[in-house]
Amino acid sequence: MSERLSWVPEGLDTGKPSAARLYDYLLGGGHNFAADRALAEKFLQAQPNARTIARLNRAFLRRAVLFMMDNGIRQFLDLGSGIPTVGNVHEIAQKADPDTRVVYVDFEEVAVAHSQLILEGDAHATIIQEDMTKPVTVLKAAQESDLIDFTQPVGVLTVGVFHFVPPEADPRAVVATYRDAVPSGSYLAFSQFTQDLQPEEMAGVVEVMKKSQNPMFPRTKQEIEGLFDGFDVVEPGIVPLPLWRPEGTNTDDPDKAGIYAAVGRKA
Amino acid sequence: MELPELAARWMHALTSTAYIPLSHAEIEQALLDSLVELPESPESVADRLVSLHATGPDSLRATIEVLFPTFELPLLARLSSAYAHYMRMDAFDQQEQIKVAIVRAKQRVERTLKVSQARFQEVFASSALGIVIIDFDGRCVEANDTLAEIVGLRAGTELIGRELIDFFHPEDRAALAGSYRKVRAGHVDRFRDQRKLIREDGEPVWVHLAASLLRDADGEPTHHVTMVEDISELHLLQRSLDHQLLHDSLTGLSNRQHFITQVERRLGNDAITLYHLGLDAFSVVNNGLGHETGDKLLKIVASRLGTLAAEKKALVARIGGDEFAMMTISDHVTTTVEEIQATLAEATFVDDHGIALSASIGVVDRPPAFVTAAELMRCANAALRQAKARGKRQWALHDPHDDARRRGKYALAASMPGAWEHGELEIVYAPVHDLETREVLGVVARLHWDDLSHNDTMALADSTGLSLPIGKWLLREACAQAAGWVAEFGDRAPTLHITLGALQSRDEDLVADVKRALDETGLPAERLRIALDISSVLAGDDNAVVLHDSGIVTALDGFRGGHDELAVLTEVPVRTVITRAPAPSPESPLRQAMRDLITTVHSFGVRFGVDEVRTLSDAEHWRSIGADGVIGLLPALSAAEVTKLLTTAASPPPAAS
Repeated sequence: MSERLSWVPEGLDTGKPSAARLYDYLLGGGHNFAADRALAEKFLQAQPNARTIARLNRAFLRRAVLFMMDNGIRQFLDLGSGIPTVGNVHEIAQKADPDTRVVYVDFEEVAVAHSQLILEGDAHATIIQEDMTKPVTVLKAAQESDLIDFTQPVGVLTVGVFHFVPPEADPRAVVATYRDAVPSGSYLAFSQFTQDLQPEEMAGVVEVMKKSQNPMFPRTKQEIEGLFDGFDVVEPGIVPLPLWRPEGTNTDDPDKAGIYAAVGRKA
Repeated sequence: MELPELAARWMHALTSTAYIPLSHAEIEQALLDSLVELPESPESVADRLVSLHATGPDSLRATIEVLFPTFELPLLARLSSAYAHYMRMDAFDQQEQIKVAIVRAKQRVERTLKVSQARFQEVFASSALGIVIIDFDGRCVEANDTLAEIVGLRAGTELIGRELIDFFHPEDRAALAGSYRKVRAGHVDRFRDQRKLIREDGEPVWVHLAASLLRDADGEPTHHVTMVEDISELHLLQRSLDHQLLHDSLTGLSNRQHFITQVERRLGNDAITLYHLGLDAFSVVNNGLGHETGDKLLKIVASRLGTLAAEKKALVARIGGDEFAMMTISDHVTTTVEEIQATLAEATFVDDHGIALSASIGVVDRPPAFVTAAELMRCANAALRQAKARGKRQWALHDPHDDARRRGKYALAASMPGAWEHGELEIVYAPVHDLETREVLGVVARLHWDDLSHNDTMALADSTGLSLPIGKWLLREACAQAAGWVAEFGDRAPTLHITLGALQSRDEDLVADVKRALDETGLPAERLRIALDISSVLAGDDNAVVLHDSGIVTALDGFRGGHDELAVLTEVPVRTVITRAPAPSPESPLRQAMRDLITTVHSFGVRFGVDEVRTLSDAEHWRSIGADGVIGLLPALSAAEVTKLLTTAASPPPAAS
């Protein structure tokens, strides 16, 4: 078929900003493009604390992974893993136990290609290109990867990703499907933007992201509680990022953290 | 300030500016190491900071604020410069990495695109439907050759840039444009319609249309795609031609070809019965009342047979001028014949002429599965000729004699393994006579089963794969019997002749089998003659040579006198050749040739034997031209009968003298 046909999907457009690369930029990474940085600047105008929030979110991921490992988890399913950036799950986990297995899941082409680059030669980690809001497909692919044994407890990670899941995708059903696929004793680590903290800034961020490929849907603490149906939320419960089991004394302002974090254990 | 305290302060300052994926203790230790190293090598400290990912926008400022004034400005300036350098390097590395990722992702996407494009292209090009993609101005962007053909153009490319709607009838255009608008507006997913296209040459074409939307990657509508199916008469005519190829144009019944195909499909699966009908005295109607009347009559017959066939779930066809055929399944022949005659006998009025109809019918009932449909049709035709010969309104069943023989052979072959197992195969012994002395030279061991000759039995055994085991069994049993005769009658015991089938003659185990049979039965080797099928020697097999070398006298069976066979006689040490041929009577023009042949065989030192010689006069004919021995003058006897003869007769059997 000739190139005349504009209806053939272009497939890849680095001119469009992606949330994954925006996050990378906010974390001080270089895996991003002009369009991502432009969007990040707008994001920063709406939420000046965005860099700190990114850092806190990343730090929460690390603490959550180590917490799960302390509780015996040796296999992780990282949903919406995005661009591999500083402190990836497999690096954190395999530093503690080199046999830990990690399956990343992301849908975005560049994130997937980049993850494959990073994971080349790591037999215990892989990336699956799937939409994390389609848990049946994801779980099937994870099963086929042979890295995750679904008869053993799994650490399911949805860190800084559920605010991209729209209500029409039925987030509760999505979480429930993952929950039902893993045995009891499995964990869910969860963090997402909330309008409970800094509602004005949050509204601004929603506005900035509205026209992007990744519009955002902040959730209240109550809504997040609903997602943990079937899990026992571990102490300290659903809290602003820096308050979740901080290492040493927390020095960050929880009211400006923008994101709730929590970890639940499947009953 | 003490270094550890400084390191702790530095750690707190740094971790609020950047995410460092290490525990606080690990970070603090790394920073303490850096403090020790700093005066000597601020560059390596800068490198470590960047490696640790202490690269937030405020990380360097926080560092300087903590380290000053413990460390002096020139040193901190070197640290800052080096830090900037490593940051740049780090950024380059990351950019490089993301670029590789981009390239890979792009390649993958392009590959996927290519595959889906190739698939689309295939559908597009090979579709029997016309397919066209139209932009929202109504212009063709892409069209396949099928569509071009429908509208009377040569190639799809000729349509590009033209408006599809121009090909529609002017009266239809407004309505069609409305339909396209509705699809584009999203009121409907697609529309289907039947409209008249006007071809390039002005001819109208009826088409089915189906139009829907194409969307881009963002889901925005960009084009219409329209499928066009030609349902014009020209198109329909093609289908009608297909029908005509299979049907008789006068009566609409299946034609001969179609009927045969149907018979083939049923044959072997169902118990079919075939009826071949010839209308009686149809030529009288044709000649007396004219062809038009004849045609009308044929239509009436076709319609009546059609009705009958529908009732009986049978198939009927017109397979010749006044001939029809019917195929029924699991049928009762006489009933059907009566039904056919009855439906034909109903009073028939054509153009005011009352016509009485009847048919002669040839029937083939439940043919075996292995005949072909064409053979069946011939059989039915033969039966029809028989029926016609008997007069009007007759029917005849195909004489199944030939088929029965064939069927019998198959049945026998199928039952042979069981028969052998149950000891129904018998070994009989046919005397071999010397033509000169008229003495019995010995006996040929032969198979006997259910009235079948040795050769027929062996042929059957060949067809079932039993010839080798049966041949070995025959060899062993006959040797045992012959050894028994030797033990009982000494020199008067007959020499054993065994004629092997083609397979056994070539069997690589043959020599071993023969030796084992002799060893186990104690039959002296000189008491055994083995006749090999000549084909084995012609094929270069060396069983004859090895047997000879083992002291066993051999013969070649199936000799016909060909040049190659004569040549073999000069090379292979055989005692005798055995032939089967009509006896050369004195009137036979071949007599001299046969005599010359025997002379030639003799010149090689080889004897000439003849099998299947049934009468004394035939034996005399053979003797007169020089043949040495014959088989078949006396019927083969069972082993017990031979024993009895040997016991009672002090000399060879009287009939042989």
